[in-house]
Amino acid sequence: MKRRSFLRKASLLPLPLILNQFKLSALSQPFLAGEMNDDDRVLVLLQLNGGNDGLNTLIPLDQYDNLAAVRSNIIIPQGDLLQVEDTAAFHPAMSGIRSLYDEGKVAVLQGVGYPQQNRSHFRSTDIWNTASDADTVLTTGWLGRHLDARYPGFPGDYPSVEEPSPFAIVMGNSVSETCQGTSGNFSIAIADIDNVGQLPSFDGGADLNTPYGRELDWLRITIAQSNEYATGISEAAEMGNTMVPYPENNEVAAKLQSVARLISGGLRTKVYIVELGGFDTHADQSVAGETGTGVHANLLRTLSEAVAAFQADLQALGLEERVLGMTFSEFGRRIRSNASQGTDHGDAAPLFLFGSCVSGGITGESPEIDPAVGVQEGVAMQYDFRNVYGSVLMDWFGVSEEAVGELLLDDFSYVPVLAACNATTSIGARPQVQSPDLTAAPNPFRESFTVSFVTGNERARLALFNAMGQQLRVVSDRSFSAGAHQLNVETHGLPAGAYYIHLTLSGGRRITRRVVKQ
Amino acid sequence: MTTMNRRRFFRNSLAPAAPRPEKESSSIALPTFSGSGLAPYAGSWTRQEAGHLLRRTTFGAPYAMVGEAVDMGMDATVDQLLADQPLPDPPLTTSTRDGGSAVGETWVDKPYGDDLTASQFSRLINLSAWLTELMYQEGMSVRESMTLFWHNHFAINVFVEPKYAYRNVATLRAHALGDFRQLVKDITIDPLMLAFLNGNENTVEAPNENYARELMELFTIGKGPQVGPGDYTNYTEDDVVAMARLLTGWRNFGALQRSTDGSFGSVFRPFRHDNSTVTLSHRFGNRQVASSGEDTYADLVDIILEQEEVARFIVRKIYRWFVYYEISEQTEAEVIEPLAAVFRDNDYDVKSVLSVLFRSEHFFDVLSQGPMIKHPVDFTVGLFRQLEIPVVGNPRQREQLYVGIINYADSIGMRYFDPPSVAGWKAFYQEPLYYRTWINSTTLPRRQELSQALLATNLNIRGYGPVSFRLLDIVEQFPEPGSLWPMIEGWTQLLLPRPITEGQREFLKDVLLPGLPDTQWAVEWADYQSNPDDEAIAQALENKLRAMVLSMLEMPEYQLS
Repeated sequence: MKRRSFLRKASLLPLPLILNQFKLSALSQPFLAGEMNDDDRVLVLLQLNGGNDGLNTLIPLDQYDNLAAVRSNIIIPQGDLLQVEDTAAFHPAMSGIRSLYDEGKVAVLQGVGYPQQNRSHFRSTDIWNTASDADTVLTTGWLGRHLDARYPGFPGDYPSVEEPSPFAIVMGNSVSETCQGTSGNFSIAIADIDNVGQLPSFDGGADLNTPYGRELDWLRITIAQSNEYATGISEAAEMGNTMVPYPENNEVAAKLQSVARLISGGLRTKVYIVELGGFDTHADQSVAGETGTGVHANLLRTLSEAVAAFQADLQALGLEERVLGMTFSEFGRRIRSNASQGTDHGDAAPLFLFGSCVSGGITGESPEIDPAVGVQEGVAMQYDFRNVYGSVLMDWFGVSEEAVGELLLDDFSYVPVLAACNATTSIGARPQVQSPDLTAAPNPFRESFTVSFVTGNERARLALFNAMGQQLRVVSDRSFSAGAHQLNVETHGLPAGAYYIHLTLSGGRRITRRVVKQ
Repeated sequence: MTTMNRRRFFRNSLAPAAPRPEKESSSIALPTFSGSGLAPYAGSWTRQEAGHLLRRTTFGAPYAMVGEAVDMGMDATVDQLLADQPLPDPPLTTSTRDGGSAVGETWVDKPYGDDLTASQFSRLINLSAWLTELMYQEGMSVRESMTLFWHNHFAINVFVEPKYAYRNVATLRAHALGDFRQLVKDITIDPLMLAFLNGNENTVEAPNENYARELMELFTIGKGPQVGPGDYTNYTEDDVVAMARLLTGWRNFGALQRSTDGSFGSVFRPFRHDNSTVTLSHRFGNRQVASSGEDTYADLVDIILEQEEVARFIVRKIYRWFVYYEISEQTEAEVIEPLAAVFRDNDYDVKSVLSVLFRSEHFFDVLSQGPMIKHPVDFTVGLFRQLEIPVVGNPRQREQLYVGIINYADSIGMRYFDPPSVAGWKAFYQEPLYYRTWINSTTLPRRQELSQALLATNLNIRGYGPVSFRLLDIVEQFPEPGSLWPMIEGWTQLLLPRPITEGQREFLKDVLLPGLPDTQWAVEWADYQSNPDDEAIAQALENKLRAMVLSMLEMPEYQLS
């Protein structure tokens, strides 16, 4: 029942009954929380502002020597790294996340980005927030569109009896553009969960068809909503609990602790957003001579210790199965470090998922590091971030694949890193994503090269990117019959330099190869 | 600006609008301004219009200032807002913690004390207070608002080097209403900007393109739609690389303890400069630009400013600062485009643009009045100014009050040298929320808390003491202080952007005179007039007024300007 119609009907009832109904619904929530359905699921977004240096977060050990050659001033000694796989290690400050990784609660996707990488902070943040193409401007966020589809009466019809809590909460001072819907933003911002107050308001007096009336109406709706939500948040904060110590002087930990309290206190909020800034490490990202320390190390430690405490808390509270965490950052950084002991804006980077049902491990290949890599080159994209978002919507929030295509992108391609979280997939069957094989020869080449790959009876898409991560052309996008295939790729008119050939098969299998034109 | 230019754009604004493509259907019907363009405003000139002009161009607008503007007329008021005035004296040291300068003299050219941290901290506080004081004490002038505008435009959020910060903001103020071209040039080699956007690390050996990118994307021409790989319509990725090379060679010096005599600044090091000729993209006509050594940066700014798009980009930002965030196709055609022409025709003279905008029909269009959500500094400083809160005590105490004021603004999202990024505060560029970014479930209660702290409790600011003021002093300026409804109207005109409803007026009256007849105000006022020295009577009236004014400040309308 929607709020307005509920209130209209409620006004016909004797007062004590109304109060009882409200009380009942508020009190019963924590007890219902044990019963699991998609509506009880919570997504915690960890937004790393500034562009995280993925190559200094998840270090490709199979490329270590080449990486050391192009990052001699910031490379961390191999012996100091936290090795998690034969070919990969975490930054030494990430011991907390490494422990979770060992428990199978961390999934890492290599090379998450988008075609035609934009290297402006603002534009690229917009692209990640809205899940738009690089050359399209959208004014709604990816979660906002999802929530719009699910709750078309927003904002006027909420809070309601069924949806009494804010749909999304930013632990901070401003709402999130990821949650921008057509008619309002689904998120509210809270700095301190123990201090949310009530505000007065008045109706009437302004024509809604004037700019003044429009802004005034928006302020009034904000006030009314925040008053209703404030009550629920205060109750949840009071009833909520946390069961493990969190690291001190760690802003992310303090915010995640608040999130744990609100979830355990029965708040029905579906999305929480926690931001950590400072990743724009153009200069002094690590200390010369002690490259495992410095600004980037401190940021990763802050993140890692906070996530580890939060995950332990969720487990102790019995909430682990209801909560999924995901990091994102507007871009990765250049492969070559600069002379300022830092790194400049780049392209793709690894993305982390945390939770008890994720397909633990690293998906995708180590980025290929050429010791002769150009100054401008970033890490090539392997997974379009919208395919990750879409897979989260499918496996975590139960959105159909078709709907995801409409919300995010036409040629959506599922990435099965959360398949075990999907209620309709049998638990235990955790499909591993197998990378397909792809060879390119000759390499380096002059005008053209030949790619060889094997498919089943399926569609395959082959595309050529430049070193800036921009898609130059689609070489082929059609159905192939099962077997080995060879295609010739012409590069007439393209300048000499590095390129990437990117193959996508059904089921989210994909691979990227670096080729060099002489 | 020449007369001919004015005529030309008036003709433009009066010409029939070109047919526009059908707008995409939208869930919100967008109101359009009623055909008002840049023709001079010739409508009524009352407290409503004068208050609108002053609230948008200064911080809050005290009752007397609005009255003065009504008497002066619109043209004289705009002339006064734009009048040149001497630059303020630099901030003066208030504490022996500074160590490097004596109390009462300025620190802006002095070395730091032996305890660097104490010295630095003392100066940062002093500078924050000084910037707040300039806004707080601003008369009928748009200069402080424009200084803050340029700080939002050339946004820097590093606040550790007070001497650098002072020079940066002094440069913004010196050109605030002046020559945009010179401002861009000066900021390009400003020591703080060199340090902030890594210009000081931009060398022939290792070019750093951070500043070159923002110079175009945020400071001058703006980024157009991406129409090809690395091509943003107005410039390309290759231009970023090429321009970074032209900008090589500059360093800042004398930061913090590196200066023993207090000197600091920027210097050109030829051996760090790339002397080669670069080729810009087709967006700049494939132009070849040769290095001219130390002058290359200025030549580059001139080259960028040859592009027509620069004026549009800057004028749109000015519009969003003073008028409204939404720029419809009609506003683009009838306001932005002709204002951009004024900007170009007057060789980037900022005052020419403001002079036309502030006198225009569009600025005073009834639809332009009231829809701006006040930014936090406007809200906070404006509130103190509208309540005419006197600043008393010694320099140390006054400093503490100004710090207290700006800490409030900070707690709701804004202070000098702390925008979220180099793009400035989101309210002025981020679709679709724009000004609405300021308001959420955290910041709105905090705005209310400031009002309550001032009017319902005896606000005590650390290091300053109780903040005392008398609303009775304001009421005494009203034409009919003893008549209930005119008295209430005096307050609504002062504090709210538009007239309020009958219901709201009744509500305010009930707060003022709970359960009492309307005539009671006149009775109480007469009693006060007959016994001006009776503190008890004055206090009773003051308390009633505070309750009523607080209710007005708690209305969502007060968030609007």
